[in-house]
Amino acid sequence: MPRLWKPGDAYVWISGLALMVTLVMIGGLLFLIATKGLGSMWPVDIGHYTLKDGSTYLGQLQSRELVRGTSGVKSDSDFRVKLKIGNRDLYGLDFRWIDETDIASIDYPPEAVILERREWGNYHGYLKEIRKNGTVIPGTAPGAFGVLEDLIHDANKIYDEILKIEKGEIGDINYGIEKQRLKLRGLSMRSESNPAKESEIRLKIEEYEARYKISEAELGKLYTELTRNEVVMLSAAGDEKVMPLGKIVLAFRPNDMGFAQKAGFYVERFWGFISDDPREANTEGGIFPAIFGTVLMVLLMSIVVMPFGVIAALYLREYAKQGLMVRIVRICVNNLAGVPSIVFGVFGVGFFLYGIGGIIDSVFFKEALPNPTFGTGGILWASLTLALLTVPVVIVATEEGLASVPRNIREGSLALGATKFETTWKVVIPSALPAMLTGLILAIARATGEVAPLMITGVVKLAPDLPIDGHFPFLHLERKFMHLGFHIYDLGFQSPNAEAAKPMVFMTAFLLILIVIILNITAIIIRNRLRKKYATSAV
Amino acid sequence: MKNLSVTLSFTLFAIVCALALGFVAGAQTVKVDPAIPSYTKVPGVSGNIDSVGSDTMNNLMTFWCEGFAKFYPNVKCQIEGKGSSTAPPALIAGTSQFGPMSRMMKSKEVDAFEKVAGYKPTAIPTSIDALAVYVNKDNPTECLSIKQVDAIFSKNRKCGGGSDINIWGATGIGGDWANKPISVYGRNSASGTYGYFKKKALCKGDYKDTVKEQPGSSAVVQGVTEDLQGVGYSGIGYKTSGVKAIKLAKTVEKGCFEPNLENIVGKKYPLGRYLYLYVNKKPNEALDPLRLEFLKYILSRQGQEIVIKDGYLPLSAAKVSELRATIGAN
Repeated sequence: MPRLWKPGDAYVWISGLALMVTLVMIGGLLFLIATKGLGSMWPVDIGHYTLKDGSTYLGQLQSRELVRGTSGVKSDSDFRVKLKIGNRDLYGLDFRWIDETDIASIDYPPEAVILERREWGNYHGYLKEIRKNGTVIPGTAPGAFGVLEDLIHDANKIYDEILKIEKGEIGDINYGIEKQRLKLRGLSMRSESNPAKESEIRLKIEEYEARYKISEAELGKLYTELTRNEVVMLSAAGDEKVMPLGKIVLAFRPNDMGFAQKAGFYVERFWGFISDDPREANTEGGIFPAIFGTVLMVLLMSIVVMPFGVIAALYLREYAKQGLMVRIVRICVNNLAGVPSIVFGVFGVGFFLYGIGGIIDSVFFKEALPNPTFGTGGILWASLTLALLTVPVVIVATEEGLASVPRNIREGSLALGATKFETTWKVVIPSALPAMLTGLILAIARATGEVAPLMITGVVKLAPDLPIDGHFPFLHLERKFMHLGFHIYDLGFQSPNAEAAKPMVFMTAFLLILIVIILNITAIIIRNRLRKKYATSAV
Repeated sequence: MKNLSVTLSFTLFAIVCALALGFVAGAQTVKVDPAIPSYTKVPGVSGNIDSVGSDTMNNLMTFWCEGFAKFYPNVKCQIEGKGSSTAPPALIAGTSQFGPMSRMMKSKEVDAFEKVAGYKPTAIPTSIDALAVYVNKDNPTECLSIKQVDAIFSKNRKCGGGSDINIWGATGIGGDWANKPISVYGRNSASGTYGYFKKKALCKGDYKDTVKEQPGSSAVVQGVTEDLQGVGYSGIGYKTSGVKAIKLAKTVEKGCFEPNLENIVGKKYPLGRYLYLYVNKKPNEALDPLRLEFLKYILSRQGQEIVIKDGYLPLSAAKVSELRATIGAN
C-alpha cells in the first residue's frame, strides 16, 4: 500500500500553513489601517438629528453600537450612535453618543454645510448670509453657496501668499539677522575691538529690520484683507455665528454631492493631507513635514550605513585572516543586531549629542552657547544612531553576498593577472551588489519603523522648518525634525482631542507603511536591474 | 410704581435665569472674562521661544506659540513636553526660557535653581485645570469621595479610607457592576499630574502596583474609553465623548461637585490646580521683550481663549491683572 504522506510532508504543510497565517495577518492589518484611515476622509452625509428632548444637532454618523445600560449589560436590540457634531466652540466636544431611542427624527437637508476651519475644528450649520465687501448676500439666494466657495478660494489664495511671505521673505530676514547677531556676539567674545566691522554688522541688521518692516506692513494688509469678508452661519439649534472667511479652509455640502463629486473631493482632501502643514497641535491639517523628515532621515542613514557596512563586510570576508578574532567580531556584529533600539538611542544621546555635538559646539558654534547647535537632538544624530542600529544588517547581508561569489570567478580574475584589490573591486563587488542592496532594503525597513531611539535624538512634535531650505548650506543637519512613527505616537497618546485625532493615527500609519513599501520597491527594482546586468558574471 | 417693581422683578428673574443657565452649561461654554485686556502688538519682538516641561501643557504651549507667532511671524517655537520634572533642569541649564509645569516646583528644585541663579524662579499661573477622574461612559458611577478615590488608587490609603476598593460594587453601585473588578489607569512618574494626584487625592500615599502607567494624558483617557471597568485621572482638557468625568466630594457630607470653573474657583471641587509657567526673572529687572510679550499674550484675552480651546479653564480678570503687575506688564 502506497504511503499517502512522505516523512517530511507534515513539515512542509506546517510551514505552508504558517506562511498563510502570516500573510492573512499582514493583509488584515493593512485592511484595518486602510479602512479606518482612508475611510475617515470620505465626506459622509450630515444628518439633522432632532432629539425627543427638543435639542437638535447636525452630525455625521461615526459608529453604531448596542446600548449598554446602567446595569452594565448589553442590550440586544437598542442601538446608539456616535455623531461627529463639530462646533467645538459651541458644545465643548466634537463628538457625542446618542441613544437611538432618544432620536425623534433624522433628515438630510441638502443645504447643510460643513466648514473646515483653521481653528476649533469643523463647523456644522446652515448658511445664513455672506457679507462680501459690505454687501449682504442672503444664504437662501440662488448660487449663494457658489459665491461662498469662490470667496473661500480667494481667501485661501491670500492665505497662501501670507505663508509665502512668512516662510520665504521673513524666514530669510530672520536667518540673516540671527547670523549677524552671532557674528556680533563672536566679536565681543573674542574681545576684539573692531569698530569698523561692528558698525558694518549693525548696519546690516538695520537693513534687515527695515526689510522686515516692509514685509510686516504687507502682511498686515493681507491679514485685513483676509478678514474683510465674513460668513454668518446658523447652528442646528439656530445660534448665529459670524466667521471671517480667512479662517475657513473649505466649505462643502455632503448631502448635495453626488458620488463623483464626493470622490473628487476625497482626492483633493487626501492631497491636502499629504502636502499641508499640521494645524491645531497636529490634530488637523496635513503631515507633510513628517513625511519629509522620515524620508530624509532614511536617505541620510542609507548614505552613512552603506559604505561602513560594505567596507566592514569586505574586510571581514576578503582581507581579514580567518581566525578566532574574526569569529569574535562576527559574533559581536550578530549580537549587535539584536540589541534593543532604545539602547542605541541612549548611546546616541551620550556619544553623539553630548559627546561629539558638545565638542562641535564648543569649537565652531561658541557664539551661540549656551543655546546648543549640534549639542542637542537633530536629524544628523538621529540618522547616525539609526545607521549604527542597522549596520549589522548590512554587514551580514553583504557577507552572505560575498560568500556566494563562486571561487572560480575570483581565481579566474587572479589568474589573468589582476591584483587582489582589482579582483575585489571589479569582479567580486559587482556580483555581490544585489546582496548589498538586500541588506539596504532590510536596513531601510527597520529604520523607517523605529521610533524609540529617535524620540531622544531629535524628533519633535512640531517642527515646521524643514531640514532642507533655501539658505546656505541648504541641508541643515542640526535641525530637529518630525517623523511619521513619532507622529503616530504623539497623535495616539498625547493629542488634546483624541477622538478627532484617531482617524489621523490610522492615516499616518497607512502612509508610513506606504513609504516603507515605496522605498523597498525602489531598492528592489534597482537590485533586479543589477542582477540582470551581472547575471553572466555570477555564473 | 407697580410697573417699576414688575420690571425690576422681571430683570432680577432674567439675571437669575442667566446665572442658572451659566451654571447648568458649566464647563462647556466657559467664556473669557471680558475685563481681561486684549493683546496688542508691539514692535521689536523676535527670536526663539524654547520651552521644556509639562506634558499636560504641551498642547497649550503649542497653541499659544502658534497664536503668538501670528502676531510676530519672526518668532519661532520649539516645544518639548516630556513631564513637569524636566522643566527645572532645563531652566537651570539655560536651554529653555519657559518651564511649563502642571505643579509647583518642589523646594528641592527651587533650591537647585537658586544655587545657580542666586534668586528664586518666578512662577506664573497661566490657567486652571481640573484634574478629573474619568470612568467609561457606560459606568453608572456619578460621584466618588476622595477617600474612595484614595482606596481605589492607593495601596496604603493615607487619606483614611477604610478598606481597599478593587471591585466596582465597593464604591456603592449595584447590579452587574457589583462584582466587576476595577482596572486602574494612571500617569508615569515624570508627570506633574502624577505628583499632584498623589499629593491631593492619595494624601501622599503610594500608588497601587496594579495602576497601568500611561505615557500621556490622552492615553489614560483612551485606556478608560476602551476599558469598560476602567478608571483613571487626567486633565479636564483631555475629555472625550467616550468617558465621563465624575463628580468628586472632599468628604461625603460636603457633597459632590462637578469639575467646572465655579466649583474650582469656589474651592468646592477638590482637584483644581493652576498650570504654571516658570521663568528665570531677575528681581527688580525687566524681562527681555520676547519673554515679556509672550507672557503678556498668555495673560490676554486671546491667550485665555486658547486656554478654553484646549479644554482648560481661564483665569479671572482680577488674577490676570495681579499677574500682569508681577511680570511688569503694565
